[in-house]
Amino acid sequence: MTSNRRTEIEHHEVSALIPWYVNETIGERDRQRVDAHINICVPCRDDLAVQRRLYETIEAQPALDYMPVASLKRLHARLDALQAEATSGPSPAGQPINNPTPWRGWMAASIAAMAVAVALLAADRWVQFESRQSRPNYWTVTNSVPRPPGEVIRAVFSPTITLVELQTILDEAQLRIVSGPTEAGVYSLASNATLPASASLALLRQHSTVRFAEGTSPEPDSGSSR
Amino acid sequence: MILPAKNSPKERDSALLAAIGAGDRRALEELYLSYHRRLARFLSRFTPRYENIEEIINDTFMVVWQNAKEFRNASQVSTWIIGIAYRTALKSFRRQKNHAVASLEDYPEQTVDPTSQTEVSDWLKHGLNRLPIEQRLTLELAYHMGHSLEEIATITDCPVGTVKARMFHAREKLRQYLPTLSGGPSDLPARIG
Repeated sequence: MTSNRRTEIEHHEVSALIPWYVNETIGERDRQRVDAHINICVPCRDDLAVQRRLYETIEAQPALDYMPVASLKRLHARLDALQAEATSGPSPAGQPINNPTPWRGWMAASIAAMAVAVALLAADRWVQFESRQSRPNYWTVTNSVPRPPGEVIRAVFSPTITLVELQTILDEAQLRIVSGPTEAGVYSLASNATLPASASLALLRQHSTVRFAEGTSPEPDSGSSR
Repeated sequence: MILPAKNSPKERDSALLAAIGAGDRRALEELYLSYHRRLARFLSRFTPRYENIEEIINDTFMVVWQNAKEFRNASQVSTWIIGIAYRTALKSFRRQKNHAVASLEDYPEQTVDPTSQTEVSDWLKHGLNRLPIEQRLTLELAYHMGHSLEEIATITDCPVGTVKARMFHAREKLRQYLPTLSGGPSDLPARIG
């Protein structure tokens, strides 16, 4: 073999090692071989510079990090399905399964997951429907909510009314507060004496500070309001 | 499964794999968490979609779970796992017949100055996406993952000569395509065929 041929072979062999010289995983003997060659070979020295730049550029490129927890949960689900299949089928757990139609298991799992999702959705809709039926998300002062004991009149007073004025009006109408005010400012009033509710109601309605008053007992005028 | 802190990563991986072979799901979880970041970063260089990345990683660990018993320490556990991930990824990328098309769409014809230093990274992505997948994987295993020649031969289940040849062709094509890497603004990038 001629000297030129040996040099050519050495050049090709060393050139092939350059990437691992760059990433520093090359063995000591090969590293010395590359060191010796690049001292005398300009093309390899140039290539080394290119590969170093390529390596540094790749290393410097930003990498995204992902949270593995959700992926791990899905892996567990697959393993559960695999084990369930193994316990019901001939393949023992932890052994490779040579299933000729692996998509069947996944299809069954997908259908089961969809069925569960549909059931959950239906249950959620039912709960929402029931919730709407039993307790509306709005209310009025005439709603048939449970009445406080003794309530005969519901009334709304001016927000500027003082405690003294309120007490005076209630004394005059022979009423007392049994509940309220609600969020809407409604008071439930009970009668203090034998005065009919209609008479108390009429007395209340004489005052400008009474914005609204109605009887809660089924009297002919109980539905009227101020 | 909690292993003593004094164990080296290799010993720890071997112990975890032995436990997995015995059906220990906690050991699988530990191994999964210790490899997820590395694999996800590597795979994200080939596909921007996390669902693809997750599928490859989870497929890899399904194989790890099923074959842990068969591991005979012929290589490091890390090399074995990355080898499984390599084959899984290769199948996945080949299955996605639109992979090459998607790559081209992701990196449309450049209109930037290819000699600009700031564009080297973009040009590199462009060039890497045009390499045949085996060449690209070989180059990434060396330059992104930092694997030795012998490790890559084990991972890819190829002779060392094949790894060298793939790397040689990848370098040649990138050099042709990325003149800025050589520091010379002489030529416009040529197409990789």
